[in-house]
Amino acid sequence: MFEVSDIVAAYGKIEALKGVSLKVESGRITCLLGPNGAGKTTLMMTIAGILQPRRGSIRLEGAELAGLSPARIVSRGVALVPENRLVFPEMSVRENLLAGAYQRRDRAGIDSDIERMYARFPRLKERRDQMAGTLSGGEQQMLAVARALMSRPRLLLMDEPSLGLAPLIVAEIFDIIAELNRDGTTIFLVEQNAHMALKVAHQFFLMEQGRITFSGTPGQLAEDEVIQRAYLGTRRAVG
Amino acid sequence: MDDYMIGVLSNIGVVSFVALSAYLLLLTGEISFGQQAFFAIGAYAAGIATALWGWPLALALAWGAVSGGGAAVLVGIPTLRLHGLYFSIATLAFAEMVRILFELFRYQVEIDGELVGPNGAEGFRGIRYIFDHNIDAVQFLALIYSLLVAVLLGFVLLERSQTGVAFRMIGEDATLAGLQGISVARHKVLAAGLAGALAGVGGGLYAHLTTYVEPRIFDVMLGVHSLAYGLIGGLGTAFGPLLGVLIDIGLLESIRPLAGYRMIIFGGIVAVLLIVRPRGLLDEKLVHRIGRLFVRSWPAKKDGRGKPA
Amino acid sequence: MVDLVQNTIDGLMIGSSYGLLALGFTLIFGVMRRLNLSYGPSVMIGGYLGTVVYLQFGAGPLTVAAAVVVGAAVAGIYVERLCFAPMKAGAAIASMVSSFAIWMQLEQAAILVLPRHTYAFPPLATGAPIELGPFAIRVDHLVMLGSALGLAAAVQLVLYRTRFGLALRAIIGNPVAAHLVGVDVRMVMPLAFAGASAIGGVAGFLVLAVDQQITPMFGMWATLKGLIAMMIGGLGSVPGAVLGGLLLGVIEAQSQWYFGPQIRDLVAYFVLFAFLAIRPRGLVGSMSEASTQKA
Repeated sequence: MFEVSDIVAAYGKIEALKGVSLKVESGRITCLLGPNGAGKTTLMMTIAGILQPRRGSIRLEGAELAGLSPARIVSRGVALVPENRLVFPEMSVRENLLAGAYQRRDRAGIDSDIERMYARFPRLKERRDQMAGTLSGGEQQMLAVARALMSRPRLLLMDEPSLGLAPLIVAEIFDIIAELNRDGTTIFLVEQNAHMALKVAHQFFLMEQGRITFSGTPGQLAEDEVIQRAYLGTRRAVG
Repeated sequence: MDDYMIGVLSNIGVVSFVALSAYLLLLTGEISFGQQAFFAIGAYAAGIATALWGWPLALALAWGAVSGGGAAVLVGIPTLRLHGLYFSIATLAFAEMVRILFELFRYQVEIDGELVGPNGAEGFRGIRYIFDHNIDAVQFLALIYSLLVAVLLGFVLLERSQTGVAFRMIGEDATLAGLQGISVARHKVLAAGLAGALAGVGGGLYAHLTTYVEPRIFDVMLGVHSLAYGLIGGLGTAFGPLLGVLIDIGLLESIRPLAGYRMIIFGGIVAVLLIVRPRGLLDEKLVHRIGRLFVRSWPAKKDGRGKPA
Repeated sequence: MVDLVQNTIDGLMIGSSYGLLALGFTLIFGVMRRLNLSYGPSVMIGGYLGTVVYLQFGAGPLTVAAAVVVGAAVAGIYVERLCFAPMKAGAAIASMVSSFAIWMQLEQAAILVLPRHTYAFPPLATGAPIELGPFAIRVDHLVMLGSALGLAAAVQLVLYRTRFGLALRAIIGNPVAAHLVGVDVRMVMPLAFAGASAIGGVAGFLVLAVDQQITPMFGMWATLKGLIAMMIGGLGSVPGAVLGGLLLGVIEAQSQWYFGPQIRDLVAYFVLFAFLAIRPRGLVGSMSEASTQKA
C-alpha cells in the first residue's frame, strides 16, 4: 500500500499542498481529480522527489520516501510519467527506454524488458531508431509510459496522460492503463478527463486548492451532486 | 575633497552610465556583453566633435548619445530574433568588432601644429576641451552627476510609464507580452537604442574626463563588469547598478591595503552574494517592500486630512 | 596557392585545439543550460599549475600535461560548487555573473602565485617540421591534431556508449525527466564539470606547449576561442564543436597570413556575428528549443 499523509509543499511562497493525505491500494487504479491549479502536479512532483515537502510523510509499503532524492525514489519502485511526457527528444526510442532502466544493472533483464515494451507498444518497435522528438504526441505518451515501466515500478504515477491527445489516442492510452493494471501494476493517476477515468479507476480522490475534498468509489463519485456538476458536466443530461 | 576622491567619484559616475545601459537591457530580459561598444562609440564621437570639429561640449555629448543610440539600433535589428546566449554572444562579437575597428581607425587633423585625433591602437589623445575652457575637476564632477541624476529621473519615469511596464513584461515572458498586444520588436529596438544612447553619453563624459581614449579599454572585461554591476546592486531599481559600481570601484578600489587581493575578495563576495540574493542586493522584492512602506505612510496622511469623518 | 594550402593545414592544426575548448564548453552548457564564463580561467589555473610543476621540479611534458588537466578539473569543480550547484532554478544570470566574479578571482590567484606577466611553458615536441612536397607540418601541431581528434572521438564514445554518457545526454535532453528516470543529477553535475574542464585542460596544455608561454590573459583567450568555436559549430553538438574549431582555425590562419592579426580577430568575430544573425544553429547544431531559451 502507498500512503501520503499530511503533505505540505510550497511552490516558491505559495503553499500548493496544504496537508494532503490519501491512500492507494496495491493492485488497483486510483485516480486524483481536480481543477487546474489544485496542486495535482505539485503532489506528483513531490512524490517523485523533484519537489521536497515541507512536512508530512510518503510511504510505500511502510518505507518512507519523503526527503529521498528522485533517483532513490525510482530505485524504491516509484516511477512517474510526467505531465507533457518529457521524453528525451534527441535520443532514439530505444535509448529513451534504456534511460528508463538507468537504475538497473541487469543487462539481460533490461534487454528482455525492451522487447516486452516493443511487444506491448508495436508502434515503438517500428520507430525504435527514430529520435523521440519526431514522434507524434500519442507515440510520445506511449514512450513515456514504457520508459517509466522500464524501471519495473511497484507504483506507476501518471500525470494527465490524456493531455493534448486526440480522443481515439486517449481511449488507446486508457486501454493500456487498464491492461497494465490487470498485469498487476498499481497505478495512481491524475486526470482531468473524469469520464475516461471513471471507466478504469477503482478509487477516486478529489483535490481542490491544495486539499483533498472527496474520496470514494466510482459509484460514490457518480452520486455526488457537486462533483457531478463540476467534473462530469453534461453526463446526467445525456445518461 | 582631494583629487583622488574626485577621481574615484568621477569614475563611479561615468561607469554608472554603462552599468545602467546594461541594466536597461536586462529589464527586457536580454543579457548584453557588448554595451562597452556604444560607450566607445560615444567616447570617440564626442571626442572628435570637440577636439577636431570645435563643437561645444553639450552638443558633443548629445552627438555621442545619438551615435551610440544609432549604432545600437543598427545592431538591434539583425539580432532582434536572438535570445539568451545567442543574443549575448552576438553583442559580444559586435563589441569586439567595434574595438578592433577603433584599433584600425585613423583620423588625424593638425591643430596648432599638433596632430590630434584617433590614431589606431595608439588611441585618441588630446581631448582637451575641459582644459581649454577652464572647467575644473569639481565642475566636471558636477556635470557628470547632474546628467546621472537626470538619467535616474528618466528611469523612475520610465518604470512608471507604459513603456517601462512593457519592457518588464517582455523581460518576464516575451511571448506572453506579444499576446497581450505589446509590440515586442519595437520595444526591444527602443530599449537597445536608449541603452546605446545612455552608454554613448557615458562614453562622451569618459573621453573628456580622461582626455584620451584607447581602444583596448573597451574590451569584454568592461562589458561583463557593466552587466555584473546590475546583478550585484540589484535588478529591482535603477539604483541597483549604481550600488554595484559603488561597491566595486568605490569600496574595493579605494581600500588600498587590499591591493593584490582585491579581486579574490571581490570575486568571493559576489559569488556568495549571488547565492543568497540571485537578483542582487536591491532586488524586486526588496524594492517593492520599500515602495509599499512609503505608499502606506503617504495616503494614510492624505486620508486623515481629506476625510475628517 | 601554396600559401593557401599551407595556411589551411596550419589552421586545421590550431583549430583542433579550439575544437577541444569548444567541446568542453558545450558539455557544460548542455548539462547546465548556463554559461560558465570561468571555463577558460579554470583551464588557465591548470596551465599555471603545470607551469609551477615545470619551474619547480623540471617535470617532463607528460607530467606537466597531467598537472594542467588535474588543475583545470579541480578549478572546474570549485566553480561548479560555488557558481552553479547552489543556485536556484531560474537564476541563470546569477550563475553567469557569479562565474565571472570567480574568473576575476582565479586570475588574481594566478598572478599572486606567479607575478610576472609571462612564464615559459615546456615545449611539446621539438624537431624539424615534416616536409610534404612544398608543405611543412610542425611536429607539435601534428601531436595537437592527433590528441584533439582522439579525445573528441573518446568523448563521443563515452556519450553514446556508456551509462555515464546516457546520464549526461538525459540531463542535456531534459533535466526533470533525467531526475525521473533515476539519474542522480546532483552527483553527475560536478563530474560533468570536472570532465569538461579537464577536456579544456588538454586543449590548454596543447596550446600552451605550442606557444611555449603562459600569461594570466590565457583564461580570457580560452573562454573566447571556446565560445566562438562552439557557437559557429552549433551549440550542443560534439562534431559541431570540433568542426567549429577547425573552421575558426582555418579562417584565422588565412586572414592572419593575408591581413595580419588585427584583421584576423575582426574576421573571426564577423563570422561569429554573421552565423548568429543568419544561422544561429551553427554548422551542425541540433539542440532544440531548449537551448535557445534564456541562458
